[in-house]
Amino acid sequence: MKIIVLLGRVLDPRGIMVNRRRGRVFVNREEYILQPADRCALEAALRVKDAIGAEVVALPRGPLPDDDVLRLALATGADRAIHIVGQAACDDAAWTKVLAAAVERLGGADLILTGATTLDTGQGQLGPRLAEALGWPQAVGAWAVETDGSRVRAIVRRDGTFVALEADLPAMVTVAAGALKPRYPDGARLINIYKGVGEIASALEVWQASDLVGGEALKPLLERRGQDFPPERELGTRITGTTEEIARAAANALRERL
Amino acid sequence: MDASFLDLLMAQQEEVSEAEGGGGGIWVVADVADGAVAPVTLEAIGAARTLADAVGAYVYGVLLGDGVTDLAQSLYQAGADGVRVADHPSLARFALEPYLKVLADLFEAERPEVVMFGAAGMGQELAPRLAQRMGGGLIEHVTAMSLDEATRTVQAAFPIYGGEYFEIAACPEARPQFFTVEPGAFSAPFMDPYRKGEPKPVEVEPVEPAMREVGPAEGFEPPAVPLSRAPVIVAAGRQAGDFELVKRLAAALGAQVAGDRGARDAGWVGPEQVVDVREVTVAPKVYVAVGIRGDTFHNAAIEGAKFILAIHPDPTAPIFQVADLCIEADPKEVLPALLKALS
Amino acid sequence: MDFTFSPEHRALRRLIREFVESEVVPLAAELDREHKVPYETMRKLGEIGLLGVCFPQEYGGMGAGETGYCILMEELGRVCANTAVNVGAHIGIGAMAIYLDGNEEQKRKYLTPLSRGQKIAAFGLTESNAGSDAAAIRTRAVREGDSWILDGGKVFITNGGYADIVTVLAVTDPVLGPRGGITAFIVETQWDGFKVAREEDKMGIRGSSTAELVFEELRVPHENVLGKVGEGFVTFMKSLDMGRLTLGAACLGGAQTMLEACVRWAKTRRQFGEELAHKQSVQWMIANMATEIEALRSLVYRVAWLVDTGQPFTQLAAMCKLYGSEVLSRAVDMTIQIHGGLGLTRDFPVEQAFRDARINEIFEGTNEVQRIVIASNIFQEYGVRIRP
Repeated sequence: MKIIVLLGRVLDPRGIMVNRRRGRVFVNREEYILQPADRCALEAALRVKDAIGAEVVALPRGPLPDDDVLRLALATGADRAIHIVGQAACDDAAWTKVLAAAVERLGGADLILTGATTLDTGQGQLGPRLAEALGWPQAVGAWAVETDGSRVRAIVRRDGTFVALEADLPAMVTVAAGALKPRYPDGARLINIYKGVGEIASALEVWQASDLVGGEALKPLLERRGQDFPPERELGTRITGTTEEIARAAANALRERL
Repeated sequence: MDASFLDLLMAQQEEVSEAEGGGGGIWVVADVADGAVAPVTLEAIGAARTLADAVGAYVYGVLLGDGVTDLAQSLYQAGADGVRVADHPSLARFALEPYLKVLADLFEAERPEVVMFGAAGMGQELAPRLAQRMGGGLIEHVTAMSLDEATRTVQAAFPIYGGEYFEIAACPEARPQFFTVEPGAFSAPFMDPYRKGEPKPVEVEPVEPAMREVGPAEGFEPPAVPLSRAPVIVAAGRQAGDFELVKRLAAALGAQVAGDRGARDAGWVGPEQVVDVREVTVAPKVYVAVGIRGDTFHNAAIEGAKFILAIHPDPTAPIFQVADLCIEADPKEVLPALLKALS
Repeated sequence: MDFTFSPEHRALRRLIREFVESEVVPLAAELDREHKVPYETMRKLGEIGLLGVCFPQEYGGMGAGETGYCILMEELGRVCANTAVNVGAHIGIGAMAIYLDGNEEQKRKYLTPLSRGQKIAAFGLTESNAGSDAAAIRTRAVREGDSWILDGGKVFITNGGYADIVTVLAVTDPVLGPRGGITAFIVETQWDGFKVAREEDKMGIRGSSTAELVFEELRVPHENVLGKVGEGFVTFMKSLDMGRLTLGAACLGGAQTMLEACVRWAKTRRQFGEELAHKQSVQWMIANMATEIEALRSLVYRVAWLVDTGQPFTQLAAMCKLYGSEVLSRAVDMTIQIHGGLGLTRDFPVEQAFRDARINEIFEGTNEVQRIVIASNIFQEYGVRIRP
């Protein structure tokens, strides 16, 4: 059983401040964390490993300027991590090609897990895109993942209730943020992976993106066109009218923000 | 006076037509919930209509399901010029592969410029798979759109960190441009009762789903979220009146129930549910304060809330200084009406 | 000069911060209120290796050095003084004595389970008549064949009520005294003759055990002599040097939290039509606090670097403890002042912080003792020997 987990990093939102009036994002403390949903995906993979045994391989979910999240994965229990370098920022469509080639070079996999959405951009397309590229079935936004080695079972939310899905392996499952309580990395493994001592040091490999996919193919489809800031909060707006009018206005305002 | 002749007149005038085989257009794939078209779909059609009018394009709706043909009229009313319906028993419930097959075949033939889905449920599964298959770009959870008319490119904003700010992106070259539209972000379109049309059926070739839905997940409970990290909170105070109504409001909003110290004194909430700098500090997306006066300790504990709705009978209550939206009324009267408006 | 943390230490801090936020913060008020020891937290800390943060990996540790240990204590001090005290007594002095002077077998037998949190350590020095004057201890150990028989007792022993292993300092030769007559022993608390006589009810650090221990004909095998017979005093003083540094680190974390609480409150609280943040009096308090905290941070991590690079640090460790505890005391005092009446209420964590902070000026050598250590080191450089 081989499980691939796709991991990304995100700027810790507690370290940023958004100034709506000036239309700027201030980074007070530049600290990156593993994407919370990816963290749950890693936990799901490690639980399968605990239950039936598996080799867990961590790959980046996009170009990573550093390999902290991969080292974290190794310290937490992943068996192998591959840092794919040499590619500037690109979008999920381009990175899917890199990952599809990496999966092939790894000799395929039985299960690929990743986070259902990113904390910052809220995008969830990487998992389904890769599943499409590989021609695999998918479950999106899983709250629980189990497998017996030949089939995978995932619990997802549909129309407000939880339902169970099943598919034959190989399959892609994206895991919802907060679905599982992730375990902590082992301290000694964490130190060793950074110091480069012990067996674990050789578990981190570096691959070149250009060895996997030709440069032209990695042209992103999407282009950044700027930022927008919500209007400054205007406190103290009174709703007036009949009780029904007030209720309708309040209900609309609530719906808009849920 | 009998005005029914007007209906006839208008109906004739508003029989909508679509392009003759030219391809392109803006396509909206409809979400169907409880036998009706989901609001997000109508909102997406409204947004599509605005874009389409600016460049002279057509708007198409796509319905998939079992017995959904009758729903086509609401897509026309919302502004669609044409509707395709894949009505087949094998599509009764969403499953990826059967739905994907229908849409991929349809879009392969029609070559849309833009495809939109609702950013909930099936859209999150279908949009990236189709985008990958057709080589299109995808922007998810779009909350605003504008048009770069020269290149017929849609620029879309999507929230960062759940709405702290927005990034704007576009897909300048690859077509189709895929988007999933955030529910509630676009205003509901005017439903023109005189717009109607004749939906075209789409041939459905049944496909076995690879990821099968095997039934409800019996006994599964998602992990509990502590109040401090709850995304939606409804909190009661001394003037809340009927706590049962507060709980029902929380259920309607999918919110956690909390209270101020007054609510604890009234025995409504336990100490771990008290919002107060001395107890629990919260930072939800939405905080509804029902009958909470709002002393410094309470208000300091909700500083991180993104949106605060306050209901209190006393216009001088300090909660109104920190609330975004204020209702100066007795919760006993407002809550039943609010529950009705939300249902 | 390089004032940046290494990647492994940054990763360690992320790990610890995540741990304390989900495992330590939720219990912080309860430990104080219920007078409870964070036993479960100690076990979890041990599971991921944090209770051996500074010990070598062959003894179950992490091998993150003194810098890593200071990071642990800073992050614990930031959120829960009680957990910091438990951990500090366990690693910083209890297990530290075994690490510094234990032989290979003792380290394997005792340090490994201590590093993994399977056993808890305490440090038995203070007696009813000997505290700052550590050489005045009265607990006797008499050789009897392959064993030593301990008689006496210790007071104010942190972790004493639930420790599995206590390092005990006892007089083995009353004539020689501190120069050759005092020996350290590793005592297992399950042995006959070991008794916890009482648990103190304290003003602060109520989530820690402070116990009086009694030894009655307690038989300790000779192999449990820690270091050489007669050299226990040196072992204990070396352990205290290490403990002092990390105590300063815990104070650093505590003071940082106070600063953050003040800034948050000053931003919210309005008086005379404006937020406290706009009052110059409050600004000055916050500026002073922040300056002292930064000075303390520099001191703490500089000393950690001295330890990790094998340089002398005794005098600077004493400064860490002295300055750290006083910076924290001033910070909690100013924090109460800025919070006004709220600061005094039981439900708000500032009140607890105020009570918890006070001990830092007392234990692991009172601040007076630190001043003696510092002064004697300074005078020594000029050839003057001062009497303690």
